[in-house]
Amino acid sequence: MLANKGVNPPSFRKTGTTIVGLIFQDGVILGADTRATEGPIVCDKNCEKIHYMAPNIYCCGAGTAADTEAVTDMVSSQLQLHRYHTGRESRVVTALTLLKRHLFNYQGYVSAALVLGGVDVTGPHLHTIYPHGSTDTLPFATMGSGSLAAMAVFESKYKEGLTRNEGIELVTEAICSGIFNDLGSGSNVDVCVITKGGKEYLRNHLQPNPRTYTSSKGYSFPKKTEVLLTKIIPLKEKVEIIEGGDAMEE
Amino acid sequence: MGDSQYSFSLTTFSPSGKLVQIEHALTAVGSGQTSLGIKAANGVVIATEKKLPSILVDEASVQKIQCLTPNIGVVYSGMGPDFRVLVRKSRKQAEQYHRLYKEPIPVTQLVRETAAVMQEFTQSGGVRPFGVSLLVAGYDDNGPQLYQVDPSGSYFSWKASAMGKNVSNAKTFLEKRYTDDMELDDAVHTAILTLKEGFEGQISGKNIEIGIIGTDKKFRVLTPAEIDDYLAEVE
Repeated sequence: MLANKGVNPPSFRKTGTTIVGLIFQDGVILGADTRATEGPIVCDKNCEKIHYMAPNIYCCGAGTAADTEAVTDMVSSQLQLHRYHTGRESRVVTALTLLKRHLFNYQGYVSAALVLGGVDVTGPHLHTIYPHGSTDTLPFATMGSGSLAAMAVFESKYKEGLTRNEGIELVTEAICSGIFNDLGSGSNVDVCVITKGGKEYLRNHLQPNPRTYTSSKGYSFPKKTEVLLTKIIPLKEKVEIIEGGDAMEE
Repeated sequence: MGDSQYSFSLTTFSPSGKLVQIEHALTAVGSGQTSLGIKAANGVVIATEKKLPSILVDEASVQKIQCLTPNIGVVYSGMGPDFRVLVRKSRKQAEQYHRLYKEPIPVTQLVRETAAVMQEFTQSGGVRPFGVSLLVAGYDDNGPQLYQVDPSGSYFSWKASAMGKNVSNAKTFLEKRYTDDMELDDAVHTAILTLKEGFEGQISGKNIEIGIIGTDKKFRVLTPAEIDDYLAEVE
């Protein structure tokens, strides 16, 4: 209703995003861009979209930033308690099930689209989770507004048994494709490599959008509001003044 | 004893001002296996006897010393099942604290919250107090700490303490042996010697359990092999 009068409700911070994951010969590689948008405005040029779930499981999030943060944080906490009780390393399917049950419960109102990847005793796993709670298990996956651009790269160049460097290069290429061709994605590339031995979180692995032009002289802005005209009107001559008396009724 | 008329209900004070059920709970603790803890200058050690009811029991499946957070561990004397419940609750509370404040829970906070749970069970209807006393060992920004929590919910910070069957002998031994500037290794040796005092039978890495936390702030339970090494040093 208010929109008719030109007042729009504030748009919430979304992650626009290109997020990807792929399985290579020793494990899983996840990748993400780093732009967070509030409608048409970039509100964070270097945010972190690859979230920690367990020492051997990481999750990329697209959609409403608050939702992805809160849901990955909550499930990470639950996984920690589960690890204490069982005395074992967490499994990717456990994280998957906890996430999908939560999202399904909220019938899609928790707007989080996730790419979950990790390596556990049963091997490397990669899944996508949609806001309504459905999941897919894939050898390579993309999500977010830049998913089509990234998937085009994966579909043409992915093959089984990639080495670590080939995998990182392919992930970086896919994210860059999202960064340059999708308006909702931009800035830098984050990569996370998870293997049986451990994990490597490569924050800002590639920075293809540095701030190139900064003037060395600095920028000079006018120091104060410009004075256009000075006109002084003494108000006593214009207004009737009542001395004393009750100025206002109590 | 005039008190016995008042020992049926937990939530009724006896004329002498005691809650008899809590006294009985402490008796249950006193008949449990000996456990002790020692705070060193650079860490804390907790230890317990692990006497199994039969040689047929798989001793690797029993772990009396548990980890509550990466930098806090706990041991008990008394009823094992009650201990399991408390460990579960404490772990959840520690995790909730971490979720809310994004900071590992300080040892005093966790002890306070666990003690609050134990106190709840002394003032509610239809429940009984926990039949365990806990020794909580942790290392946080305030350095190494050792706390004892009783079934009543009261807690104290100790430099060294013991609980269970052999408590009086163990405490006397600790009083003689304890020094403020002890190192963690010395503390482990002292702990082993204290356990040995009241031990029936041959002590080995398989029938005692030791947990330590040092300046690395990582609580861990020693393997039977490591315990045997310490035992050899002590001989």
